[in-house]
Amino acid sequence: MSFLIAQSIINGVILGTLYLMMAIGFTLAFGVMRIVNFAHGEFYMIGAFLTLIGVKWLGLPFPAALVVTVVMAILLGGLVERFVFRPFRADELSGMIASLGLAMILQHMALIIFGPDPQSFPSLVSGVYRLGDLIVPKSRALTLGAGVVILLAFYGFLMHTRMGRALRALVQDQEVASIYGVRLEIMYPLGLGLGVALAAVAGGLMAPLFGVSPFIGGTPLLKAFIVVILGGLGSIPGAALAAILLGLIESLTSSFVSASAADIVTFALVVVVLLVRPSGLMGRAEA
Amino acid sequence: MSAAVSKKTVPTVGASTFVYLVIAALIASVPWFTGNVFYFHVGIMVCLAAMATSGLAVIAWVGQLSLAHAAFVGLGAYTSVLLVTRLGLPFVVGLPAGALVAGAVAYLIGKPLLRLRGVYFVLITFALNELFRLVMLEFPGVSGGSSGIAGVPKIELFGLVLAEQSQVYVFTLACLVAVTALLYLIRNGQLGRRFAAVEENPALAESSGTPTARTQNLAFVIGSSIAGFTGAIMAHYIGFISPETFGFQLSVSYVIILVTGGRLALWGPLVGAIFLTPLPEFLRGALEYQHIIYGVILIAVLRFLPQGLAGLSGQLTRLKGDRS
Amino acid sequence: MRLNKLLVATTALALLAGAANAEETLKIGALVTLSGAGSSWGQGMLRAAELAAEDVNKDGGLKVGDTSYKVQVIPYDDSYKANEAVTAANRLVFEDKVKYIIGTVGSAPILAIQPITEENKVITMTLGFTAEALSAEKPYTFRPNPTTAEVAQPQIDWIVANKGIKTVGALFPKDETGQAIAKDVGQAYANAGAELSAVEFFERDRVDFIPLLTRIVAQGVDAIELDGNSPVTAGQIVQQARDIGFEGVIIRTGGPATQDIVNVAGKEATEGMFVHSAYDPGVETAAAYEKRYTETYKDQMNGFSPFFYDGTKMLFKAMQDAGTVEDTDAVKTALENLKDYDGVLGTLNWTGAERYGIAHQLDSPFYIARVEDGSEVIVAKCTSQGCE
Repeated sequence: MSFLIAQSIINGVILGTLYLMMAIGFTLAFGVMRIVNFAHGEFYMIGAFLTLIGVKWLGLPFPAALVVTVVMAILLGGLVERFVFRPFRADELSGMIASLGLAMILQHMALIIFGPDPQSFPSLVSGVYRLGDLIVPKSRALTLGAGVVILLAFYGFLMHTRMGRALRALVQDQEVASIYGVRLEIMYPLGLGLGVALAAVAGGLMAPLFGVSPFIGGTPLLKAFIVVILGGLGSIPGAALAAILLGLIESLTSSFVSASAADIVTFALVVVVLLVRPSGLMGRAEA
Repeated sequence: MSAAVSKKTVPTVGASTFVYLVIAALIASVPWFTGNVFYFHVGIMVCLAAMATSGLAVIAWVGQLSLAHAAFVGLGAYTSVLLVTRLGLPFVVGLPAGALVAGAVAYLIGKPLLRLRGVYFVLITFALNELFRLVMLEFPGVSGGSSGIAGVPKIELFGLVLAEQSQVYVFTLACLVAVTALLYLIRNGQLGRRFAAVEENPALAESSGTPTARTQNLAFVIGSSIAGFTGAIMAHYIGFISPETFGFQLSVSYVIILVTGGRLALWGPLVGAIFLTPLPEFLRGALEYQHIIYGVILIAVLRFLPQGLAGLSGQLTRLKGDRS
Repeated sequence: MRLNKLLVATTALALLAGAANAEETLKIGALVTLSGAGSSWGQGMLRAAELAAEDVNKDGGLKVGDTSYKVQVIPYDDSYKANEAVTAANRLVFEDKVKYIIGTVGSAPILAIQPITEENKVITMTLGFTAEALSAEKPYTFRPNPTTAEVAQPQIDWIVANKGIKTVGALFPKDETGQAIAKDVGQAYANAGAELSAVEFFERDRVDFIPLLTRIVAQGVDAIELDGNSPVTAGQIVQQARDIGFEGVIIRTGGPATQDIVNVAGKEATEGMFVHSAYDPGVETAAAYEKRYTETYKDQMNGFSPFFYDGTKMLFKAMQDAGTVEDTDAVKTALENLKDYDGVLGTLNWTGAERYGIAHQLDSPFYIARVEDGSEVIVAKCTSQGCE
């Protein structure tokens, strides 16, 4: 029994880190642009396809394919900001609905280009690490490691560069930030571009674990959604806490009760948190 | 969401209203011109979408956007279907019961829920819709589980079974007229002014003596009852329901109709439903591209018609005014 | 402006209404899933109908009595949703006036459109796995693909006997198909003298199975059963089960999906897996169909496609036998009377009178295959009576 508990906790932490990667771009886009981006999952899907193209068609090594994916995704995000979201800056709701339209467009474009069948992704590693009875699949350990490195790099960018500070200022207070000379016409596309890039790199990293098809965006979107609600919209530390929490809840409830109970518990928790602390576990109170 | 649309003019009952009514009547009679059953079916779907979205509009009038609307449509559907199939009650009992149950649930959860505003309300209603679907799946004894309930009896009014699509169309059209009339009365009555005051500035409304919480809750109950009412009709027309039917996507489709039509306009739900419900049928030929075209149209409408299609005439008038 | 727009719309509607009167054309509806999950199957079905139509059109059309009909397939998407399917069915039946529909993919959509199709005597060929799809009250619905109910017992008997399996774990999606299959498969294992000892249900769009698999594997099962899961999900389960070090047998009892599973899970994880196979690549006609499919569409063939190719061809044959395309009662009877039809998959017959109360279920030979280096190697040939 104690073995199962320990194993579940390990599973949960790994899962939580994966969720965090999906959630952090989502919450950044919201923090910067005030857009609840329903197309976030489609960017995850696009990232998975870009990485697949890099590895399988262009024969790039996996890390190089990821770098290409990130660069393409930042460009894509900038374009999407310019041509889709810019007119809705003042209007959260229209922006949200525009993102629904965008999601529809992206998913069906992928369907036309790649067809509905899942694509095979060459697996990078196989086998497991064993610690006594405990098991950590190598493929997950690798994804986990890469994910942590990317998250740390992103954290460093946010805390220690000029642009990162400008982004944070924007998340704190749009008006004050622009008074202090944060240039919105650069920061908005950059913010969304980074959000998109994080989703895409998550897609690329998880492609070997979960496969690639035009329909893989739904689940990460849902998880990002839950994490961000729990953590507080626009709060990055909140997302971190909530992601790990969600991973643990899912893993433990699935292992000890049942899978469907895990989903109900999750959504019930979301409702309770929103009622008790609408701004999420670590979010700022909404003015 | 309030800034852009706060100055609305109360429509003067006159020439323009008359023109609108004539147009509405013309559109409503399209299926008879064609005499084709399929057009009656599309007509029914337009009426149902317009009704459900009208409920959503009432909630939007107090400044809230619900993503749980499909769950209330589902509550009405399941209530009526269970009463009719399990207890053998007639549809004329099931239908109001559906509306009543949806309204009652809205009343119970409305108070804590409506403390949240803006995006937070959107998010919690999103979570509630998922919760509804998951819980329904968890009780297959009640909901039929994921297999749903097939063979739901057709709509029956006092012994008259509406077996033909054209009959159902007449019925749903009548229901839609009633719902729209209700919306018109609310909007032009004292309640409508209270709604508008709350929508525009809740704090100001509260300080000037409008009970904000109660007003919002009332709008939520009315809107959700209309959703339940629609759900009951929908279930008995389609003949099949399952928890999946009332998922997130149905809620989203109502929001899209509302925003495309005009989120604060009286005619918004109707115009949105008339435009969007048949749209996929026009795009069906472009099989692979239909969803892409749909998405592009959606973004274009949002971009160029921020007040929705129903605001189109107003926008044009203003444009003319600017030029002269 | 607004008035103009409405006028345009009205005229367009009216025009659409008048457009359906080409001569000597036989329209067949393909009401399948073409967007979202399930579109792999939908596409395979649609293309099967198209290829079957191509066959008869190539020879100058389908000769029924003295008339030659050019077959036209009208594809509509139902997005795997009941409501959408009803709208599409209304359009097919009342607007396009089709008498034959290939579809639907899903169980909910077929149950939802049956009130329309049955009442209007429209013959449907569905993939939907639900047992309720076929019944004596629904004489116009056929299912040209075997479901788990048909294939489970012989296949499971063989595997249990040959692999010495005692306990089996399984994961099923929490939907109508998953629940029906869980029941059938559980019963089949019990009959074969083994036990489906650890069963988990999960929400359809789940991608992480490690917690569930951890629990199942901790119970020490000999085998994991994948039936009832979509190809992608099955692939993920295989990969993740191997990831956490499961070394027992992996079995997929029903539903051809091997290629997709291998794509998702990789060759290494799928090595030695026992799968249900609908066709033997050694059978020439089956291999030829697959070749034609991949060459025409530059795409892998979906495993259900050959069934619907055969099904559509049988439908054409029935029209010829009945000497009419209009009288679906006659066509239905002729279709029921087809015996030992020589399809690409082998010899085909209708069965199901006992199980469903009507013999509208296709009975076809099938195979048990072992996956070796990503490909199926046939190890046993089965009929509904047993495998050898």
